[in-house]
Amino acid sequence: MTRRTFWGFTIPSVIIMLVLMVVPLVTTIWLSFNELFLRDINNPTWIGFDNYREVLGDEEFWAAVRFTLLFVAVTVPINMIFGLGVALLLDKVGRGRSIYLAALLLPFIVTPVVGTLIYKDLFDRGGLLAWLWEVATDEPFLITSGNVKWLIIVQAIWHVMPFAMITFFAGLQTLPEDRVEAASIDGAGYWRQLWHVTLPHLRVLILFVALISIMDAYRVYDSVFVFAGDRFTDAHTLQVYTVEVAVDPQIGRVGKGNAIGVLNVIGIFVVLIPFLVISYRDQIRERT
Amino acid sequence: MADVRLDKINKIYPNGFHAVHDLSLELTDGEFLVLVGPSGCGKSTALRMIAGLEEISGGDLYVGDRRVNDVQPRDRDIAMVFQNYALYPQMSVRDNIGFPLRLKKVATDSRLEQVDNAAGILELMEQLDKKPATLSGGQRQRVAMGRAIVRRPSAFLMDEPLSNLDAKLRVQMRAEIASIQRDLGVTTFYVTHDQVEAMTMGDRVAVIKDGYLQQVDDPETLYANPANVFVAAFIGSPSMNLVEGTLTQDGDQWSVELGDQTLRLDESVLANRPALAAHVNERLVVGFRPEDLEDAAVRSDHPADQRLRTTVDVREALGAETLIHFGINAPAVDSGDPDALDELGDSAVARITGRFSPRTQARVGDAIEVAVDCSAMHFFDRSSHLAIT
Repeated sequence: MTRRTFWGFTIPSVIIMLVLMVVPLVTTIWLSFNELFLRDINNPTWIGFDNYREVLGDEEFWAAVRFTLLFVAVTVPINMIFGLGVALLLDKVGRGRSIYLAALLLPFIVTPVVGTLIYKDLFDRGGLLAWLWEVATDEPFLITSGNVKWLIIVQAIWHVMPFAMITFFAGLQTLPEDRVEAASIDGAGYWRQLWHVTLPHLRVLILFVALISIMDAYRVYDSVFVFAGDRFTDAHTLQVYTVEVAVDPQIGRVGKGNAIGVLNVIGIFVVLIPFLVISYRDQIRERT
Repeated sequence: MADVRLDKINKIYPNGFHAVHDLSLELTDGEFLVLVGPSGCGKSTALRMIAGLEEISGGDLYVGDRRVNDVQPRDRDIAMVFQNYALYPQMSVRDNIGFPLRLKKVATDSRLEQVDNAAGILELMEQLDKKPATLSGGQRQRVAMGRAIVRRPSAFLMDEPLSNLDAKLRVQMRAEIASIQRDLGVTTFYVTHDQVEAMTMGDRVAVIKDGYLQQVDDPETLYANPANVFVAAFIGSPSMNLVEGTLTQDGDQWSVELGDQTLRLDESVLANRPALAAHVNERLVVGFRPEDLEDAAVRSDHPADQRLRTTVDVREALGAETLIHFGINAPAVDSGDPDALDELGDSAVARITGRFSPRTQARVGDAIEVAVDCSAMHFFDRSSHLAIT
């Protein structure tokens, strides 16, 4: 390959990456060192690390960090285990497989805000689950700051699980039948087949789903916004907190918001590092 | 090690397809039995039923004295080698071979020793730490063999284990598998669609078609005395030539008419096939193998009334032999092998292949005389396709 064809192939994507990723990132970092208000967007003032000091000293920020991490730590593993379980069951279904598949995918297809509203309706006064609760306990069901976090987490599992399920299900379709059969003849029962044949086959997909799910969960916004709104501020995640700080028309502090954004990027990297290392090693091993 | 006995085994799929009909076979201890047939004949289904990967719809299966119809695959004490090897990609060769032992909870020391033993037999010592993806096809096949060997099973089941290898390697592995099997003395049930593998490897060969067992015999008998038209055509390469002909008698003189040509039959032909005399003046299926044909110019002492006159259509010089294709004016017979090429052109003209000495001077378009060894001819009933002997 000549230098010319090399650049010919790479320049278009390099330009797109620069415009869509590098420029915004650099702008974000630069803005995070400025005091800048939404209502006076053209007048940034350089204030050094003041935004960072303020954010790191803000109890609301740490509450958002705690809930975001709790959200990731609970929803991602449950989604993946559930998704895998459902995929394995679906793989055993002979007739009507596509009907089950479509039904299972439905939560994932629904627009997040709409999905959350429907789900929230179940718990509001007159909602089915709220009514059942009242019948069972004789007390009205109320969304409180105590249970709202768990309602959000359960909603997220219901909403995102199909992604893991469909990915693992697709992976199971490429599992060579004879490998499973060989294991069954070699003496492996169901669980050992799962451990020694099925899971190793899905390894790359498990990493992939973990990576995407963590990123996705870390950035959760719509469902929290719909559910918690302004009522339950301690159930705010980092994204909700950022938006609250940055784009409020009255007090919107764009500089501080960007500082939170930069901290978010760093945070997500720290969480993802082990997965990036594992998949990097896998790639290297595959090539040697 | 043990006998394996199939007693009227049937397979009927839920959609009603009857894949295997009343298959009865008995493998004696240490025997190498090859089940051969064209694609879709039910041979793999039969093997998978023995392995326990398919349910048996009817009949009884015994390994040793134990009826194993309802026994889990892992408890049948059999090992299987798959066409695509079915190795575990994330495990090293050592772990692949040792996997069945690990599941049996064999102590690590003893396990590694047994793996080393198997690897020694299969010349895999150098490869033990490698992953399957880095091995060649032949090496992978050996690892799959190793995984079967370490278990010291009652029987090996092999499902077309050589069909993914290239031609040269296949010939080599054919000999290797046969010799390993002889050394270990493990009863082996081997499935293939390749009649050459069947003939070279099997102590006995079972030919199956459309789920029905056609004939079980040692390779020589199968070749010399095929029970029906299908077996006759399936065993041997190039295939036996099959044409319609009429048996005639004129005093002591017996002949077979193939279209407008007549071949005189020696007395020995009728003496060796007593049933044949009852079929005089009947239309029969007449078979003669390519190797029983020769260029009459090469064998000039061949009787003039045991020759076919024809024109050379195609000539294939293979070095040690020359294949000559020609037509005769007699109806061709379909042996029923779905894998065989459909005869092209007019079915009233049978395509005949002769396996001539390389000394033949016959060229395409030449008018030649073909010497037919009439004593080696085969006769079959035209409607039942069964051999007349």
